[in-house]
Amino acid sequence: MAKKRQKRDVVIIGAGMAGLTAALYAGRSGLSVLVLESELVGGQIANAADIENYPGIPGIGGGELISAVQTQAEKFGAVVDEFDPIVRVELSSQPKIVETEGAVYEAAAVILATGMKRRKLSLKEADRYEGRGVHYCELCDGQAYAGKTVAVIGGGNAAVDAAEYLSKLASKLYLIQRSELRADKASVERLRSHKNVEILLQTEPRALSGDTKLTAATLFDRKAETAKELPIDAVFVNIGVEPNTAMFADQVKLDKAGNIVAGEDCRTNLDGVFAAGDVRTKEIRQLTTAAADGTVAALEAVRYLRSLENDKKKSSKKIKK
Amino acid sequence: MVKVYSMTSCPWCVKAKKYLESKGVEYQDLNIEEDEAARVACQQLSGDLMVPVITANDKDYVLGFDKAKIDALLGIAG
Repeated sequence: MAKKRQKRDVVIIGAGMAGLTAALYAGRSGLSVLVLESELVGGQIANAADIENYPGIPGIGGGELISAVQTQAEKFGAVVDEFDPIVRVELSSQPKIVETEGAVYEAAAVILATGMKRRKLSLKEADRYEGRGVHYCELCDGQAYAGKTVAVIGGGNAAVDAAEYLSKLASKLYLIQRSELRADKASVERLRSHKNVEILLQTEPRALSGDTKLTAATLFDRKAETAKELPIDAVFVNIGVEPNTAMFADQVKLDKAGNIVAGEDCRTNLDGVFAAGDVRTKEIRQLTTAAADGTVAALEAVRYLRSLENDKKKSSKKIKK
Repeated sequence: MVKVYSMTSCPWCVKAKKYLESKGVEYQDLNIEEDEAARVACQQLSGDLMVPVITANDKDYVLGFDKAKIDALLGIAG
């Protein structure tokens, strides 16, 4: 059966903070807005147990915050579909085409807000233990390790926050980082206050072992240049993120790291295609900067749609003459 | 009755429940953090305490949000 073709003013790809903020602003501007999300609404913050750096909100779970933003965007007419994955995009045409498993959308403008995805552990045996000792979602899988020995790998804010959450469940929690910690001082100090936490710096995992489930990790001390085996029930991987741009890498200009090249106006090299949030080239990636990008991208899209309308009016006047 | 073993702040649990709702599937939400009996039942079913776990017959189950597997388990037409 042929897929149904549907028109939208703006299709936003990605329902993290940038995408949903763009949906809110575009919706308030009276545009028809569709937000498509293949993974989790909220993106990276969907996994955040506690967010303390969003202005005006002293502390909130990531899921709760993003759910409020989604509700706010939907109030102004935006539709969020998280169950219809995208299979193809065509961004240089006008209208732009976004084809999902269930429909073909024709959009005057597209906002790319696909954010970042967690880097996978690069050890060759990591796949074998995924879901059986190697995990990427502490809020989903942490409970399985209550009273057990757990490690978080990584040293950024996400890793330290994951360690903080898991330290309340596990009997022993190791934070393993190959260099120094990059997380906020406040978060690190809070983590250090837990008696069951041990932070291993200049240390990296070199191998994982176990029969059907993970039971040990071989750690390499980079300073002492020695290796030791640590009995462990699970590792939760938080070793950074990489841009989610594979779907349109051959269409939009990317930088060497794979981020979409766009300035403060969020305009990409393609007319009518905007980049917002962590996926855009930028120095600072925070929830607040994602929200700012969503705002700018939506308002630039509004401006672009107006220019399309004006062009149409001009060309119809010429025809009449 | 379909059962969903879940936890309060687990994002994939939220997504799985929203998916069932979007398909008009009625389900019983069993929170393994708050309900000890649910916790035991979840562990007996899947051998672990990872969520979400979806089952319709307390025997076959899907762990995690996997749309294709959930559709097959519950006979949801694509």
